[in-house]
Amino acid sequence: MELPVLNENPASKGGCSAGSCGSTDDQMNHLSDEIRAKVQNHPCYSEDAHHYFARMHVAVAPACNIQCHYCNRKYDCANESRPGVVSELLTPDQAVKKTMAVAANIPQMTVLGIAGPGDPLANPERTFETFRRLSQDAPDIKLCVSTNGLALPDSVEELSKHNIDHVTITINCVDPEIGAKIYPWIFWENRRIKGKKGAKILIEQQQKGLEMLVAKGILVKVNSVMIPGVNDKHLAEVSKIVKAKGAFLHNVMPLIAEAEHGTFYGVMGQRGPNAAELQDLQDECSGDMNMMRHCRQCRADAVGLLGEDRGDEFTMDKIETMEIDYQAAMEKRKVIHQAIEAEMNSKREVKAEKAEQFAQQEKMTTRPVLMAVATSGQGVINVHFGHAKEFLIYEASPDGVRFISHRKADQYCGGDTTCGDGESVLQRTIRALEGCEAVLCSKVGFEPWEMLEQAGIMPNGEHAMEPIEEAVMAVYKEVARSGKLDEVDQAERARAVA
Amino acid sequence: MALKIIESCVNCFACEPLCPSKAIYEAKPHFLIDPKKCTECEGDYSVPQCASICPIEGAILDAFGAALNPPGSLTGIPPEKMAEAMAELQSH
Ligand code: SF4
Ligand code: SF4
Ligand code: SF4
Repeated sequence: MELPVLNENPASKGGCSAGSCGSTDDQMNHLSDEIRAKVQNHPCYSEDAHHYFARMHVAVAPACNIQCHYCNRKYDCANESRPGVVSELLTPDQAVKKTMAVAANIPQMTVLGIAGPGDPLANPERTFETFRRLSQDAPDIKLCVSTNGLALPDSVEELSKHNIDHVTITINCVDPEIGAKIYPWIFWENRRIKGKKGAKILIEQQQKGLEMLVAKGILVKVNSVMIPGVNDKHLAEVSKIVKAKGAFLHNVMPLIAEAEHGTFYGVMGQRGPNAAELQDLQDECSGDMNMMRHCRQCRADAVGLLGEDRGDEFTMDKIETMEIDYQAAMEKRKVIHQAIEAEMNSKREVKAEKAEQFAQQEKMTTRPVLMAVATSGQGVINVHFGHAKEFLIYEASPDGVRFISHRKADQYCGGDTTCGDGESVLQRTIRALEGCEAVLCSKVGFEPWEMLEQAGIMPNGEHAMEPIEEAVMAVYKEVARSGKLDEVDQAERARAVA
Repeated sequence: MALKIIESCVNCFACEPLCPSKAIYEAKPHFLIDPKKCTECEGDYSVPQCASICPIEGAILDAFGAALNPPGSLTGIPPEKMAEAMAELQSH
């Protein structure tokens, strides 16, 4: 099959599994053209679009109908938000106003989600009133909703009436035995049902809801929280099942559990997975599922583009005083969206061409290498090592360059005098880069340079402002030429990834 | 006989729409039950609805002041464990 531009792979390269060759954005590889067209500009689905478009959430749904062991109900739904976050609850009316105010002021905002603070479908009136009014008054905004799935079958009909772009179901298991270790209770048919019995009902509802949505032609994404020792071994099976039923994406997220969150897992000392365990599971699943490796578990209440939060500009009292002419805003948004799309498309074409050229070249036999990249987006290396809030991790191999994940950095230098804790933060950042053999950034200071070298990570500031994939490949080839990567040594590779 | 919501309520709205007697209302700083209206769900359900969905241990009391969902009953966290974790946090 000839794959269109988004795929970015050299077409028909024999013998290479689709998930691991060519260039980045391989999370799109398996999608049909129709779905790809729907999601290519969606900030949640491609690393690329993440930097051009934004989504926002409104907190209209406070109630929940189940309990998850990683959630403390004093805070927002942990399925969609970082633990410990409390959002200001909005009425549907306030939510509609806020959404339109943000859309008028941040034209890149294309997706509005309802994800809590509880379960949106456990608050059907509030959730659906918000959707109803936005579908009507702001038809250029895509709507999405996240749910634990318990009330999903009852909501599919109503969901299909609105401008719903996709539904996210958090599915952590398909086995009630395992479910009982994740969900202590559900509220079902006017009673609280605990343990395996409750988990069984929840699982059945999730699966039924998934099937019904697919039958209606609504896109379904599945989120899973990876809980080591509980469902980590089980999630590959979950991945297979939800894909077979028609979910178009499966996103495995790491459990975040700290005692101070007051959650069951936090207090009981359940640990989250490390970067390598998460990556192994994502690799295991990606053979049969498209993964969202770039997902940053963004804060459900953040407003703005990736890495920025302009929430302060849109507090309720400020919004009340704004006059929004949405018709005019919609015109403006359309022009801006078209310009962004044109830019993204031309970048994709350039990448595809490069990949094509790459495929023509003689294949190397060197082992793969992980590299970290400091970027603030636009696909180029443009961040100073010490200013990087996160690093994108790429794997370079004879098959090409592929995006693996992002890792958070502790910013050790804010450029001011508050660097008291500098040492240890730098060390933590370097620890976050474990397994990488090089780090590409616009500049590296003297001190981190030495420490990086000691940690076996080669600092590289020679490719500032260059496109990421090209720079990573250039560095890879350089190292390969030096003879350091000869022979694909499995033990070596395992060490590099661990 | 009536149930009572106390200050540990987190205002999650879950109980309010379930009450068959319309006894629960939004109030500051937290939801309240009108004791004149609450029937403890007698005649409507075999279990009090508010206490069956409330996620917060200890937030709803019976007429004698006893928690319908005592510590540990909903989260599964043994109360000693919780106390330990909190003491540990305070000491930092
Ligand atoms: S579904 Fe969300 S709000 Fe409900 S218990 Fe789970 S994490 Fe918490
Ligand atoms: S016990 Fe029943 S009647 Fe009384 S407040 Fe709760 S839900 Fe309402
Ligand atoms: S369910 Fe519990 S926590 Fe939620 S509003 Fe009612 S009493 Fe408060």
